[in-house]
Formats: sequence, C-alpha cells, structure tokens
Amino acid sequence: MSDLVVDLANVRREYQTGDIPTVALADVTLQISRGEFVAIVGPSGSGKSTLMNLIGCLDRPSSGSVRIAGNDISSLDDNELTALRSKAIGFVFQQFQLLPLSSALENVATPLLYQGLRPKEANRRAAAMLSRLGLGDRLDFDRGRLSGGQQQRVAISRALVTNPDLVLADEPTGALDSTSGAAVLEVLKEMNSEGRTIVLITHDLEVAAAANRRIYIRDGLIERDEANAIAGAR
Amino acid sequence: MTLWLTFRLALSRIAAAKVRSGLTMLGIIIGVGAVVALTAVGQGAQQGIDESLASLGANQITVSATTTTGLDENDAAAIAEIEGVLQVSTQVNSSGTASYGSESVTVGISGVSPEYDSLANPTISLGTFLPSSPGLQNTRTIVVSAVGADELGFTVDSIGDQIRLDGVAFTVVGLLDDADGFGSGANVFITQEAARSLFSKSPYLSRISIQAVSQEAVSPVEYRVEQFLRYSKGVTKDEDATYTIFNQAALQDTIQTVTGTLAILITGIAGISLVVGGVGIMNIMLVSVRERTREIGVRRAIGARRSEILTQFLIEAVVLSLLGGLIGLVIGQLASYGFSILGGWDFFIDPTTVFVALGFSALVGIVFGVWPARTASQLQPVEALRFE
Repeated sequence: MSDLVVDLANVRREYQTGDIPTVALADVTLQISRGEFVAIVGPSGSGKSTLMNLIGCLDRPSSGSVRIAGNDISSLDDNELTALRSKAIGFVFQQFQLLPLSSALENVATPLLYQGLRPKEANRRAAAMLSRLGLGDRLDFDRGRLSGGQQQRVAISRALVTNPDLVLADEPTGALDSTSGAAVLEVLKEMNSEGRTIVLITHDLEVAAAANRRIYIRDGLIERDEANAIAGAR
Repeated sequence: MTLWLTFRLALSRIAAAKVRSGLTMLGIIIGVGAVVALTAVGQGAQQGIDESLASLGANQITVSATTTTGLDENDAAAIAEIEGVLQVSTQVNSSGTASYGSESVTVGISGVSPEYDSLANPTISLGTFLPSSPGLQNTRTIVVSAVGADELGFTVDSIGDQIRLDGVAFTVVGLLDDADGFGSGANVFITQEAARSLFSKSPYLSRISIQAVSQEAVSPVEYRVEQFLRYSKGVTKDEDATYTIFNQAALQDTIQTVTGTLAILITGIAGISLVVGGVGIMNIMLVSVRERTREIGVRRAIGARRSEILTQFLIEAVVLSLLGGLIGLVIGQLASYGFSILGGWDFFIDPTTVFVALGFSALVGIVFGVWPARTASQLQPVEALRFE
C-alpha cells in the first residue's frame, strides 16, 4: 500500500450552483503507483480539473475516499492539507505561474522556505535543481527575461525541488510552441525515468502519448484506462 | 517563510510599484508630517512663552493702579510685611520727551525702586542697571530700552553720555535687551527718587511688584494682598477697585489651557488624517489582493499556509504605512527646523514625537491591513488558481 501514491475509491464531487447540484465527478476509482507516468485525458468539462484538484490536495471529495501518499484527505484540516501538498505534491501549471518580482532562484526556493528551511539551504538546493534542468546560468533572471520554455523548466524545478511523491502537471505544454512543448515533455519523461511519479493532465492526445499510461475521462467517469505494453503497469 | 523574508518581499513589491506606493502612502505622509510640524510649532511657542515669563522674574504678583491715586507708598510698605512675601518693588510711570544729540523721542518713563533690579531681573545688553545702593538713589542716571536706544540714535559709545529727559540731564549707564519681554516701546528707567523729584511729587504708585517666597506661596500671597487691599481701601464691589492684581502663575495656567486645547486639536487632525490614510492603504491592499489572486493560489498550492498569506499581506500594509510615517516624520522635522529658524526657538527632535508617529503609523497599517489580509488568506486555492 505504501507504493500507492494516489488511491481514489468511489470518489464523487459535486458543486452547488444555486439550487442545482452539478456533478463534476460521478464515481471514480483510481490507483497510481510510485514511479508511474500517467496522463489524465479528457475534454474540457469532463471532470479532469476536478480530479486534478483532488489529487493535488486542493479540494476534498463530496463522498468516497481520496488517499494521497497514504493520507486520507477528508480527515485533514486546511493546515494539514497544506502540509501534505507541501511535502507530497509538486505543481506544474499551464501558464507557468512563476511568482512575480522573483528571480528563478527565488521561485524555486519558495516551496522550501514554506517548509521552513533556512534561506541559505533553500537557495543551495534551488540552485542545484535549476542547474540540473540546464538553467544554472539563469538563476537571477525574473520571469520577464525568460522564454516560455525556460519559465516552464523553472516551474518544473520548483515542483521537483521538494522531492515530492507526485508531480502534478496541468497542461504543461499548453502555453508553449511545439518545440518547447516537446522539450518540456522530454524533461518530464527523464524525471520519470529517474523514478519520479508524474501525473499529466491534458486534453491533447499527442501530449498524453508521452505518458506510459492514459486514463480517459468523460462526464465525470473513467471511460478507459490504458497502459503501454512496455511499461506494464497494472 | 521567515518574517525577515516576508518583510523583504513587501519592500521589493513596494519598490516595484513606486508611484502607486507613493500615492498610497500620501495620506499617512501628509498626516504624520503635518502633526509633527504642528507639534513642534506648539512646543516652540510654549518654549518662547515660558522664557518670556521666566524673564519677568520668578513667583511674581503685580498690582497695578487703575486710577492715578489707586496705590500709594503705604500700601507697598504694608504688603512687604504680608506673610509669604519675599520682596516688593515699586514704580511710578509717566511719559516725556527724551533728547540725545539732534534726536527727540517720546518715551515711557519708569521710576523704579532699588529692589526692581533683583526682583524683575532685567537683562542688560550694555553697561549696568540703575544703582541699587540707598545713597545713590538721587543720582540722575538712566537706562534705555533697545527700541529707545535705536530711536535716539545711540552707538556703542553712548554709555556715559547725557540725554535730556524733559530738559533734565541724565547720564546713560546701561542699555536693556528688549528681546525678553521688557516692553517693545521706547522706554527709559530712572530711579524712583529721581522720578519723584522731577515728574510725580505725589506719594502715589503706578505699580507694586511682589515676589513670593516660593511658587506654592504665590496663590496664598495673592489672596492676602487682595484681602488687605480690599480692607484698607474699603472695596466692597469688584468694579470699585482702584487696582488690578496680576498673577503670573494665573497667566501660565491660561496659556497651558490654550496649549492643551491646541494639543487636542492637533490630536484630532492627526486622528482624522491617519484614518483617511489608513482607508487609502486598505483600499489599495484590497485591489492588490484581487490583482494577485492567482499568485495567492500558486503560493497556497506550493505550500503556503493561510497564516503565511495573512502575514504577507499584513506586513505589506504595515510596511507601506510605516514607510509613509517615516517619510512624514522626516518632512515634518524638516518643516519644524524651518519654523524654528523663523520663530527663533530651539530646534530639537523630540523622541516622543518620533516614537508616537512611527507607532501610530504601524498601528494604522495593522488596523487597516487586517481586512485585506484576511480576505487574501481566506481565498480557496482552487478558486484562486482558476481566477482570471
């Protein structure tokens, strides 16, 4: 069970819009093991964003159980949920979402600072991570002086620097041209080959092809769950 | 995230939007600056008044005649015997024409008793005051006020020269420094004996100055003097009195009341301007929270707790407000320095003013920063990340 990073059982999530409840996720059961590279694929409105929020510990289910890295998130309060996010999840967003007025180094050091690390140690680790992703000469650049591809690599560094159980990438190539997008996917693949668990959320089948396993979602339900033969997961 | 880092983050954000930060701080800057300057002016004025009063001599009560026969030598002699009285000086006032060289000037003439020098403590800028030994009271010596000296065309060599007072020759022995409240007109001082022999041969007096033994004795002495005068002159109604009693302490009380009112007024202005400044900060912080909703969402996603978001925005508000207070303080002190030169009083930086100005600025930042900061910290990460 410690090998299950994501363990969802009969998860339902509905939103109240006025008097009418909207069902975003109807009944989802899903398990992701350590070391997998999974793509969650679906059109907009399919419920994949809701699924991402649940896996990312940003939201709680209406019913069913969500266990992330062994923790049942329904029983956690806001601070505990934050602590779990900080420890277990690394986020990569579509629009990079680098912090304004902060250098690449400061961006990557920030999650460590929120974990309570000393600035000196946080900066050392952040610099090491950025260097690994080929940005060692861009430490002092803010987001205005970085290309889209570089910004996304900074964002990936920020997601990886805490050594999380799971990297959650929401349309990481959505704002990039195809060359930069392909490069970002290569980085994610490489990270996966080093043993990191990666969950990619996308509507793009080509992007999803980079993953070893694809979970198709539609109308709040898992439609199909397919793995590459070679990867052999599940 | 340490407070120091949060503080630096707030500073860099304020620096990144200089115009906006400046405009936001303007209310606090003006408020604190105005209050610091006004307080300094108030203190300077107070200092000037205190010095003027002190130069009149300590613990004094003055009885002035309101009619030509209102007070006489007997009154002075009796008052000198009243319990609590240290010494008494008397003077007769009149006016006349003083001539020196080709200049002729109308002057106020005070004939003062020998005790005047020690009691009223006049400031001499050149020469000496009138002789105080009893044997020299009939000499024709004269002391001239600064204005008088100026109008008569005195030079530094005029000490020892003679001037004519209504045709009678007097030897100039000293010049007064008028700056400390000894009347602004052209006045001359001669001995009372000389005045009696020349101008007013009656035993009546214009003024009796009384010095009490201590500050505490001033009020009781004033009371006894008043009782004595009422009794000896048979005064039953206030309007029948032929004299007025003036107590320096009473004047000081009045001035203190006025100063107190002024202080309340300044505090009121300060309060209003700080509230206005605080509302400005709150307004801009609310805008800032809205503009940075996505950033808040990202920070929450990557591990910032609610309390850390709250602290971040609160510190930003406090830094804005404190910086405004600091700038206001500097501007206010510069203005006070300018006023001190104009008003001729001492410039000093009052630690209380510094402390209160900065303390209240910080308080304004906290009070008006709490709501925006709370709003920021209460944002749901999911909603904040989705915010366009």
